[in-house]
Amino acid sequence: MKIYLALTVASLKMYFRNKQALFWALFFPLLIMIIFGMMNFEKYASPNVGIYDAANNDASKALILALGGTSDEELLSVTTGTLDELHHELEFGSSRAVIEIPSNYVIPGEFAEIKVTYDERFQQERAVVSTILEQVTDAAFKEAAQVPDEYRVENSIGVSETFITGQGQGFQAWLVPGVAAMAIMQTGLFTVVFTLVRFKSQGVLRRLKATPIGAAHFLAGQLTTKAIVVVVQTYVLVIVGAIVLGVSVGGGRIGVWLDLTILALLGGALFIAIGLAVSGWAKNEETAAPIANIITMPMLFLSGVFFPLSVMPDWLTRWSQYLPLTYLADGMRAITVEGASIITLGDELIGLGVWIVISFIVATRLFKWE
Amino acid sequence: MTNAIDPVIVAKDLRKKYGDIAAVNGISFEVRRGEVFGMLGPNGAGKTTTVEILEGMRDADSGEAIINGINVKDDPTAVKAMIGVQLQQNAFFDNLKLSEIVDLYAKLYLAKVDPVEVLSRVGLDNRKNAKYAELSGGQKQRLSVAVALVNDPVVLFLDEPTTGLDPQARRQLWELVRKIQAGGSTIVLTTHYMEEAEELCDRIAVVENGEIIALDTPDALIDQLLSTGFKPEKRVREATLDDVFLNLTGRDLRD
Repeated sequence: MKIYLALTVASLKMYFRNKQALFWALFFPLLIMIIFGMMNFEKYASPNVGIYDAANNDASKALILALGGTSDEELLSVTTGTLDELHHELEFGSSRAVIEIPSNYVIPGEFAEIKVTYDERFQQERAVVSTILEQVTDAAFKEAAQVPDEYRVENSIGVSETFITGQGQGFQAWLVPGVAAMAIMQTGLFTVVFTLVRFKSQGVLRRLKATPIGAAHFLAGQLTTKAIVVVVQTYVLVIVGAIVLGVSVGGGRIGVWLDLTILALLGGALFIAIGLAVSGWAKNEETAAPIANIITMPMLFLSGVFFPLSVMPDWLTRWSQYLPLTYLADGMRAITVEGASIITLGDELIGLGVWIVISFIVATRLFKWE
Repeated sequence: MTNAIDPVIVAKDLRKKYGDIAAVNGISFEVRRGEVFGMLGPNGAGKTTTVEILEGMRDADSGEAIINGINVKDDPTAVKAMIGVQLQQNAFFDNLKLSEIVDLYAKLYLAKVDPVEVLSRVGLDNRKNAKYAELSGGQKQRLSVAVALVNDPVVLFLDEPTTGLDPQARRQLWELVRKIQAGGSTIVLTTHYMEEAEELCDRIAVVENGEIIALDTPDALIDQLLSTGFKPEKRVREATLDDVFLNLTGRDLRD
């Protein structure tokens, strides 16, 4: 125990004196978060709406296409999906309306009621969406329906409106937990890989092997350090996100910090295990760097760190939803800004758990002391 | 120092193969308490492997290594706890001060030492706040000796401690070795510098192809060579240990 403490203290000292490691673990993610957070991507964009198409016929498809506008002039930024997904996105995400096309759209002689749900906090967007919807349905109906005069537009299509009070906080709230997850990945993978590979190639681990403690103690001390760094990092990023970017964290719930700690440690364990596997595999720093980059770079863009997965093509998200960082980023986001607690997380915990087990098995297979 | 068992090191018919190559091929010797025992030999002769078996860093295929009465194979941890080791390639943590490195290693042995005092024994107390990377080659070697001393070892193993050092740094390290010996330590030293062996060692084992081909005091080895009628090449004067070495192991450049 005394030996373990001595090793942990020494390795903490080494870590916090390593300016480069601190830069990548703290300042780099902070910088990214603040710079991206200050850009307002929503300002010039058309409102995000989710459309649920119960009719799924030519007329409804034409309607969705028309609502999206042309490539020259985008009217609405349309996402499709299940009603649950779309409503969740409206409540917590960046969506501003959910449009539900009924199954009887457009059957001559029947009255089709399009239900629209808005976030009452965004009246400007509501006005835009309802105007566009009105114009488009009007035009679409006239074009599509070659019907006798008695089937007038107003007799065939109606729009009903409902309001909810969403809790979504816009792009900043998406970004902050995403960057926190990214930082956990970078710390876990890069600092573990670089310290261990360097110690291995320089012979530091070998020298430790000549002492009565063996290198496993040393490893335990190193991993404890990384776990502490991961938690500190998460706190710093989330707190700066709250202060500088005005993100409301966990709706003021105190338990959110405990949940974040647990999730950060889980994420840390996962990426540290991946780091151990890579450092077992790589012979020196020259081979370690590209391997670590090949693992992290795609996840930076495919795991919804900076932008929702919904902006990417379906064939890609079908795979990227299973990436380790996706689970971590989703979990961080659910806890930080979507009011979830760690026990209510389902998929994210299972996903992380499976990846942790896989990574540890691979790590124990690949890791070597010399 | 712990209870005195003499000889402090017993190696009995040690053997170790890497693939088809026998790195250590039946090496036996004893080291007496308080002596500086030298192992000489060209690169790849098996010195380092032999020493690593004694240090508990490598398992022998067969044979026995006994340090201070403890069989290394049975309890490598106990052996590691009472020896001091300087490896051929030493590296220590960046971002730690020298005093912190010594302190950390002392804690690994659960030894209570004053790091600055240990550093002063190798003449590095004035650099206690320096980092490892800032040291010169000779200072790095002296630090690794200091680290090897934290547990007040029964036997100190020095594996090629002066390789790559300039003559001044080398002499400084010799001084240090003599000082440590004067303090009552037993030292096992590998080297391929003959003048170093002649200068420091009480007895020398010459290792070639994994076997000991000669073992005696430096003086006796030189006398033996002269008694065969050997004449040094250049000038007619007494032979040096260099002659002994080259005569025994051949002149071919290794490695």
